[in-house]
Amino acid sequence: MKLTRLQLFWIVATIEIVMAVWLRISPAIAAAKQDAWLSMLAGGLMGLAITFLVVHLSMMHPDESLAEYSQKLLGKWLGKLVILPYLTAWFILAGDVLRTFADFVHLILLDSTPVWIIMLMMLALMIYMTLNGGISGIARFCEIAGPITVGALIFSFLLNLSNIEWHQIKPVYADSGWQAIAAASYPPASFFGESFMLLVLVSYMQKPRKAMSASILGVGITVIFVLAATVMVLLVFGPDVSAKMRFPYFMLVRTIDIFNFIQNLDIFVLFIWVFGVFAKMSFYLFLTSSEMARSTRIPNWRKLVWFSAPLIFVIAALIPNENTIEFLQKLWRLIVIPLCAIGIPLLLWIVTLVRKENSSLKTSS
Amino acid sequence: MNRTIRLSLVVLLLLTVTTGCWNLREPDQLAFILAAGLDLNEEGKLEITSQIAVPAAISSGQSPGGSGKKSFVVVSGTGKNVMDAGTNLQTQLPRSLFYAHRQSILIGERLARKGLGSLTDMFIRNPKSEMRSSILVVKDGLAKDVLAIEPLFDPYISTMLVREQVAVGLKPYYYRQFLADALCQATQPILPAVSVLPTKRYIYSGAAILNKDDNLKLVGYLNPKESFLASWIIGRQNSLTVTAPVGAGGDEITLNAKSLSKELQFVMQDPPSMYVMLKGAGFIVENNTKLNPAKDRDLNKIEHALSLSTQEAVQALVEKVQKQYKADVLGFGEYIHREHPYQWKELRSDWTTLFPRLRVTVKVELKVKDPGQTNSSIDSML
Repeated sequence: MKLTRLQLFWIVATIEIVMAVWLRISPAIAAAKQDAWLSMLAGGLMGLAITFLVVHLSMMHPDESLAEYSQKLLGKWLGKLVILPYLTAWFILAGDVLRTFADFVHLILLDSTPVWIIMLMMLALMIYMTLNGGISGIARFCEIAGPITVGALIFSFLLNLSNIEWHQIKPVYADSGWQAIAAASYPPASFFGESFMLLVLVSYMQKPRKAMSASILGVGITVIFVLAATVMVLLVFGPDVSAKMRFPYFMLVRTIDIFNFIQNLDIFVLFIWVFGVFAKMSFYLFLTSSEMARSTRIPNWRKLVWFSAPLIFVIAALIPNENTIEFLQKLWRLIVIPLCAIGIPLLLWIVTLVRKENSSLKTSS
Repeated sequence: MNRTIRLSLVVLLLLTVTTGCWNLREPDQLAFILAAGLDLNEEGKLEITSQIAVPAAISSGQSPGGSGKKSFVVVSGTGKNVMDAGTNLQTQLPRSLFYAHRQSILIGERLARKGLGSLTDMFIRNPKSEMRSSILVVKDGLAKDVLAIEPLFDPYISTMLVREQVAVGLKPYYYRQFLADALCQATQPILPAVSVLPTKRYIYSGAAILNKDDNLKLVGYLNPKESFLASWIIGRQNSLTVTAPVGAGGDEITLNAKSLSKELQFVMQDPPSMYVMLKGAGFIVENNTKLNPAKDRDLNKIEHALSLSTQEAVQALVEKVQKQYKADVLGFGEYIHREHPYQWKELRSDWTTLFPRLRVTVKVELKVKDPGQTNSSIDSML
């Protein structure tokens, strides 16, 4: 179970790109109108900063995951306590993603199939992948699915070039001003900040010292593609129409019409959506199970998959409607990111530095 | 234990197969909607008309009259809103309605006069709907009459309506652009309009002006020539044929202008001024004058006369739009918004009163790129 640098890059990119492109564009446009791309850019920089912080911290503790070094740094009880918000966040995220995935497939593709069946099938696949492949199986899947996703995105942008109306992105800056742009940049930042899962992921690397470039590039390529998708959506639909859409990227693909001949390509991007969700869900199933195992020192994390998977399913099934999903996303923005991606990593980083100082003082004396 | 696992595997496998089955619909269970017509009937109720493909007639009847079957049927239903009427429509059909191939949405005049504002939602909300449809208004008539027209070349009128726009040099106007116009700050949408002739044919009859400040109500029409000029100014015209009298004799010359471009300029003063610069170049397709386009002096005369006459037409159009309709269909407000955003902030609130007072200066520059296949007219050679 050792990851190469390339695998780390593709894991980060695959599990972040699709969800962000699919779901995160219209909220930013609703907030910042045609300047949403500036917000995305600012949000991307914040996301990269978070990534830098968490990877930097993880590299100070190579070969140990969050559950282990938090206990080492903060003591047994506090260390275990610190893991709790992470597990909660990851479980909620996984349930949220599973539900959104199933809702989308239900809405667009299989409206006669009960939502829970769609969720159950994805769950079965995830369990199979996680139990059999573990993190290296997920990594290998990402190595294949990631490039396909990126390729499909580029292709869909190219096919939309004929629909572009350049004036839709104007005026730049003047309508919203820096306050609105900055305010609208935090939601995308919170999405890119999902990279705090690297706190755990880095420990699975062959050479954790090489994690930094791969992580930054992984989040970087996500930012670039979300940015490109935002710009494309703005150029094709304009800010007023796209702000009203739930899945603007999907509508973008539906708009492709070349010579009245190349049409209805949405079915081809549906599979990248399924790929992305599958990679993400499997990863979070692995992440929650293995971190719980490490924190409670259960030797076989695979047994915990049978706890995590049903829990994710229950969370997804209990979400009553779109409102709750929005509430959970608010929770993510207001609590999870400040706490799990910034607060606790900073605390752990300071404790690490202090301990190092102490130990070096001890050895010198 | 082993048996339970195997059994659950089989159940899972069954699930993967049956999930699709719940949605299984063979093409012969679907009614493919090609065009939708929205009308207000005499009782003031919303009436939806769908043109539905009859695939059997297409496959069997390669030659006209092959099977004698019509390639489409037209079905109407009334209701409270679009989907309600759609439900009534469904009751008349043994196949379920399928929207994903809809090419055009037609709006009858009576409904357009009442306003479209409340009807736009379904076309964007319904996940099965299509934003790729083009949208048109039926002048002096009902949408369902257009849908009932026996098409000339294509099996379906909906295909013809889209091609018609291309044939007259317009870029097809799609539903998403209509939404963008309807939701943006200043531009009033203009939709292509068709009308039904007594001979059971249709004719492109210009553009319908909607007022988005008042529930997208129809306020009037531009005639076909005006609609081409207006489309040139908003950048939705690919080509334009201009005929103008040149010289004293009153003989005419016709230019087919292909590369159309526009340039706007705004100056904030009292009254605010807008400079419209339109450029185009093309080749002469008809010359009944004594002038020889191969000669520099004659060429200048021709270009000047063509430009001037077009310029007057554009000025008349601008005047009409400003004074008669008071509707900013030419995208001037959006232009100011995009290029001079800070000045726009001052103008925005009373743009509707400002627009008719805007001083508009038009300059048209048409160039002859090619004199055509002869130099002077046959007339002068005789």
